[in-house]
Amino acid sequence: MYAQVLTFGAAFLGSAVESVEALTIVLAVGLTRGWRSPLYGTAVALVSLAVLVLIFGQLIVTKVPESTLKLIIGTLIVLFGLRWLHKAVLRSAGVIAMHDEDKSYADTVGELQGTVARQDWIGFTIALKGVFLEGLEVVFIVVAVGGTSGGLPVAVAGGLAAMIVVAAMGLVVRKPLAQVPENTLKYAVGLILTSLGTFWVSEGMGATWPLDFVSVFGIAVIYFGASRVAVMLIQRRPVPA
Amino acid sequence: MRFIRAAAQEVVGLFVGDWAQTLLSVAILAVGWLALSRIHVIGLAFVVATALAVQLVYATTVEARKRARAH
Repeated sequence: MYAQVLTFGAAFLGSAVESVEALTIVLAVGLTRGWRSPLYGTAVALVSLAVLVLIFGQLIVTKVPESTLKLIIGTLIVLFGLRWLHKAVLRSAGVIAMHDEDKSYADTVGELQGTVARQDWIGFTIALKGVFLEGLEVVFIVVAVGGTSGGLPVAVAGGLAAMIVVAAMGLVVRKPLAQVPENTLKYAVGLILTSLGTFWVSEGMGATWPLDFVSVFGIAVIYFGASRVAVMLIQRRPVPA
Repeated sequence: MRFIRAAAQEVVGLFVGDWAQTLLSVAILAVGWLALSRIHVIGLAFVVATALAVQLVYATTVEARKRARAH
């Protein structure tokens, strides 16, 4: 039960964050150069991502033994989650700038100004590249978390639900979703993934956790505590003259 | 070709920000594997989690210091 909820949550939140970033790119291209080509680009990217989920999801679920899966994919999830947590700590401490969708949107629009041909390959390519590259992280989260927990359909549902919600919000507001607390979401996803990854990789190594899956919450407390300590240490450091 | 290169960089970038930090995390997991496969004590894996958490504190503070010096 907890595993399914966390699997859905990780896929939903991770997908939501990346969908917001992809939506910003598509909106910038669509509103600047017209909608036809960027929508084709988006469709091609989404189909490609779905194919990746199908191929890798099937491979992982059917071909890889459970302990190997937990060991290898667990390690990758830990590394992936630590990357997100690392950035979240630096953002929280003010070392790197918070991700700003308004700025990303303005930058993309600035790059796209100019005459538009009937078949707009630039619009098509930028939307395709943006959605595909942002979507790769979603594919990893869905396949890795879903495959390892044995809940691939739950993870796929979480990813799809987030994409639909974000796309619907984009349709309604027709501007970048700058109000979405993207950095906080990334912090939460980083915490969830690092904790799940640590749980699974340790099980793959032969470890036994007290209270089984409930231990994930204990691991999350450790990582959350460490991330807050890191933010505090960075903020307390005197600025060099 | 540029698109494939960007996709490959994106995939590697999913797991690796700084190679030294990534190798340190992998080393912690490798030592943890060695210990967990020999010592069967319930909850010992929390030590691995704590070591990774300490690594996170170390890596972020080191990067913050580097960035402060660079400015």
